[in-house]
Amino acid sequence: MQCKLVPSVCSYCGTGCGILFEVIDGRIHSTLPMKTHPVNEGKLCIKGWNLHEHVNSDLRLKQPLVKTYGRFIKADWDEAIQITAERFREIIAKYGPDAIGILVSAKITNEENYLAQKFARAAIGTNNVDHCARL
Amino acid sequence: MKTEVKRWLETGIVDVFLGYKRMMNHPLPYCFVKADLEAVDDLITGPARYSLEKIATHIASVRPDLKIGMLARDCNQRALNVLFIWNQLSPDQVKTVNVNCCPSNLKQHGDCSYLEPEKAGTYKQRVGLGKALDPQAVEEFSPQERLSRWMYEFQKCIKCYGCRNICPVCFCKACSLENKELIGTGALPPEAPIFHLVRAVHMAGRCIDCGLCEDACPVDIPLRSLYRKVNEIVVAVFDYETGSRPDQSPFSVLGDTVALEPKPI
Repeated sequence: MQCKLVPSVCSYCGTGCGILFEVIDGRIHSTLPMKTHPVNEGKLCIKGWNLHEHVNSDLRLKQPLVKTYGRFIKADWDEAIQITAERFREIIAKYGPDAIGILVSAKITNEENYLAQKFARAAIGTNNVDHCARL
Repeated sequence: MKTEVKRWLETGIVDVFLGYKRMMNHPLPYCFVKADLEAVDDLITGPARYSLEKIATHIASVRPDLKIGMLARDCNQRALNVLFIWNQLSPDQVKTVNVNCCPSNLKQHGDCSYLEPEKAGTYKQRVGLGKALDPQAVEEFSPQERLSRWMYEFQKCIKCYGCRNICPVCFCKACSLENKELIGTGALPPEAPIFHLVRAVHMAGRCIDCGLCEDACPVDIPLRSLYRKVNEIVVAVFDYETGSRPDQSPFSVLGDTVALEPKPI
């Protein structure tokens, strides 16, 4: 039996509430607010309280799906990235880079957001970058 | 205490021990095991307060055969009594090290709202209700004013379910607060006062006045005063102090016998 309480930061929005995952035998059992965290001081909203639910959800996607003939077919990462890159190239060649927009998220880290905008500007060549909080 | 905990783990008196340890400079609950006895040297008793008994029920739900040791303040002990009554844990399964509610001799305890109720701000004092008030203090207001003050507090609710989620004695698989027939869905604030009163009624004979709900409430609803009132009625009618003894609760429907009769008038 292994029971661990793992401190982490809530990934739902940009506030950065301190949370504790209660992990029993490798499965996240519940989420608790971190009492001494300076951001949330032992409080959470409903999304934070349910952070473990999407990790344990049966509906969670664990591998990429590629839409083939109108249906989502399971694929491996190499294949999915290859197809995405090819389609991006096609679209850029046909309509120009501004036909593509990158939407970033509060659910990913600051650094990942930075990388996403860098990817939009340097790799795709567009300034179309926006954030989920503005949608 | 550390030597004793080590001895318990070594000799198999307990399989796991729930206490606190400083991690990333935060006092966090930690599960000590025999395989890592040296970690016990870092065992601390505070200052933060988490519901260790709730973690114990989760461990017991996965591994009912394990013996669980834990640090227990007064509120933890009361919660354990209630959990024993409701068959969520068995008294033979849990062994406690009793610790003072205050980790230091100077009684500097910033976390336990029982000892240091937070002072309400001026606006809250004027239109709402402060934290950890005794029911008598609330009843000094006229019924009309009391209602308006309670409604002010309830209407701040963001329906995070934090009060239920953090509650050491909330363990039901199906919760009335999520019952669509009882409480309307999709609206914020939730239907007031029914949302809070449903929870309050369910706290009768269960709430052990630990104050974790009030600590966890993001909008500072004085839930503790509400549940204190409910349990004041339980004491008046059944002469039953919740959590004070491991007797059958007056509201348990399990078993053939009535455990507690109403108090003779």
